[in-house]
Amino acid sequence: MAFLELTHVSKSFPGSVAVDDFNLSAEQGEFVSFLGPSGCGKTTTLRMIAGFEIPTSGTITLDGQDLTFVTPNKRNVGMVFQSYALFPNMTVKDNIGFGLDIAGRKKNEIAARVEEMLGLIHLDEFGARYPAQLSGGQQQRVALARALAIRPQVLLLDEPLSALDAKIRLELRQEIRRIQQQLGITTIYVTHDQEEALSLSDRVVVMSEGRIEQVGTPSTIYNYPRSEFVAKFVGQINLLTVEMVNLEKGLVKVGQQLVHAGQTLEHMNGHKIRLAVRPEELNPGFRENANNLSGKVEAVTYLGSIVRVRLDIEGNAVSLDMFNERKLQIPNVGSPLTITFPVDACWLL
Amino acid sequence: MTNRRLNYWARFWALAGLLYFFVPMYGTLDFSLRMKKGVLSLFAYQVVLSNPQFLASFRYSAIMGVITVVVSTLIFLPTIYWIYLRLPRIRPVVEIITILPFIIPVIVYVFGLIRTFGRPPLQLTLTPFKTDILITAGYVVLSMPYMYRSIDVGMRAIDVRTLTEAAQSLGAGWRQILLKVIVPNLRIAILSGALITFALVMGELILGDFLVRPALGPYMVQVGRDRAYEPAALAMLSYGLTWLCLGLIQLVTRGGTSQQQLTGR
Repeated sequence: MAFLELTHVSKSFPGSVAVDDFNLSAEQGEFVSFLGPSGCGKTTTLRMIAGFEIPTSGTITLDGQDLTFVTPNKRNVGMVFQSYALFPNMTVKDNIGFGLDIAGRKKNEIAARVEEMLGLIHLDEFGARYPAQLSGGQQQRVALARALAIRPQVLLLDEPLSALDAKIRLELRQEIRRIQQQLGITTIYVTHDQEEALSLSDRVVVMSEGRIEQVGTPSTIYNYPRSEFVAKFVGQINLLTVEMVNLEKGLVKVGQQLVHAGQTLEHMNGHKIRLAVRPEELNPGFRENANNLSGKVEAVTYLGSIVRVRLDIEGNAVSLDMFNERKLQIPNVGSPLTITFPVDACWLL
Repeated sequence: MTNRRLNYWARFWALAGLLYFFVPMYGTLDFSLRMKKGVLSLFAYQVVLSNPQFLASFRYSAIMGVITVVVSTLIFLPTIYWIYLRLPRIRPVVEIITILPFIIPVIVYVFGLIRTFGRPPLQLTLTPFKTDILITAGYVVLSMPYMYRSIDVGMRAIDVRTLTEAAQSLGAGWRQILLKVIVPNLRIAILSGALITFALVMGELILGDFLVRPALGPYMVQVGRDRAYEPAALAMLSYGLTWLCLGLIQLVTRGGTSQQQLTGR
C-alpha cells in the first residue's frame, strides 16, 4: 500500500460533479503536482486530502490510516494557501509556533523549532515582525514554515505562488523544491502553471473536468501525452488534420503532402485522427529520411530566446520554434518555407 | 473660481451644521451652570451626583449595559462567524433581520414583550430578576443593528474562511480558532460594537420605563418633569458619557484602516 492513497474518490456539489473517480497512490517523499485548468477539480481534491471537503464516495488513506472522515485538525497534514493565510494578529514566530502551541508543546521546544524553521526559510531576522510588515514572498515562506513546523506527514500546497510576481515565483519555486527534498516530505502541489508542475514534480497528475487525464513523470507527460487535452494543455502543440494513406506503413497525408507517422495505423482505422508535433521539433529546411512539409509563413513572433514562426500548411496552422541567435535568419511573412521533423517526433491522436 | 465658490459653500454648511449642533448644547450647558443665582457653578451637577437615586439608576444601567454587551457578543460573534463560514448565502436575509429594530418602534416591541412574557407559560415579569432577564433580552435586540454591523465589518476585513482552515490544518479545534485567531483579529470591531451598545443601554428609556426597572433613562425623564436645572446637568452628563464611548472607539481604532494593521501592531 502506498503512503498516500486516494481510491475512487468523487465529490459532487448540487448540480455538478467536481471530482469523478480519482485514483492516486503517492509514495513517501514524493512530489506530486495536480495540473489543470480552473474548475478541473484539482483544488477540491486537495481540500479532500486536507479534510475541508468530505468525499461523496471513495476513500483516502495516509500511511495505512483511513482519513476519509477524519476532521482536518486531526489529520497531521500541513497546508499552504494561495493567500498565505497568516494570522495578522501574530508575529512571524507566533505564526510558525501556532501549531506546536495548539499541540501543547513546551515553550522551549516551540522556540527551538521556530528558530529551526526560520533558518530553513532564510528569515532568521524576521521573527518579531507581523505579516503586514513582510513582502508577499516572505509571507509565503512563513506560511510554508508554519505548515512544516508541526512535522506533517503530508504537505499540501494550493497554488502557493499564484499571487507572487514572476521573479519571486521562480525563486520560491526552487526554494520549495529544496526544502521538500531536504525534509523528504510527501508533497501535493496544486497549480495551473505547467512550467511549475513540470519543473517541481516527481509526477504530474493532469486533470480535466474532474477526471484524471494522465499521470506520469514530467517528461512522460510532455513527450507522450495520451490525449489531445494533455497535449494541448502541457506545452505548445501542432495538430494537423491528416488522411490515412497506408495503414501498415503508417503513412498519412497532410493535404497533398505525405508524412510518415512512425507507427502502424491499423488500430486507428476508421477513427478521425490528427498528427501531433511540438513546435520545437520542427526545423526550417529539407532533410532526407525525415518528414518534410511546405507552407507559407503567416506570422513571426519574437519571444526573446525563441522566435515563433506560424505557417499555413494545407489549411493547418503550424508553429515552429527557432532558438534565437544573433545571426538567425528570420523568415519573411508571406514567403514559402519548408520544414522538417524526424519521424519519431510526431504521433497520432 | 468655481472651486472657490464650492469651498465657500462647503465651509458655510459646515459652520451652519456646527452651530445647529453646538448652540443648543451650549444653551443647555449654560443653563445647567446657573442653579445658584448670579454665579456660574457646578451645583446642579453636585446635586445630581449626590442623589442616591441617580447613582442607583446609573449603576443599574451600567451593569445592564455590561451584561448586554457580553450577551450580544456571545450571541452575535459565533452566529456571524458561522454565517461567513458555512452559510454566506443567507447573509442578505440576516442583514434585513438585524435592521428590524430600526423599523419596528420600540413601543410596539415593548408591548409585544409584555404581552408575550407577562403571562404564562413564560412569565418573566413577576420578579425583578426575571424582568432583568427580559430587559436584557430587549436590549440585546435593540443593540442588534450596531453589534451585527460592527462585527460584520470586522469579518469582511479578514479572510475568515481561509484563516479558519489554516488554523484547522495546524490542529486547532473550534474553540481555539475562535479564541486565538478570530476574536483577536476582530478585537476592534467587537470593541466598537460593545461601546455603542453600552451607550445605547445607558440612554434607553422605553424598555426601562414600561418594564418598571430603575434604569437611567426613566430616571432622567422623571427628573426632567420635577426639576429645572438638574435635567440640564443630567443631559450634559449623558452627552459626556456618549462622547466618552465614541472617544474610546476612536482611540481603539486609531492607527490605520486595515484590520491587519490594527491588530498586527
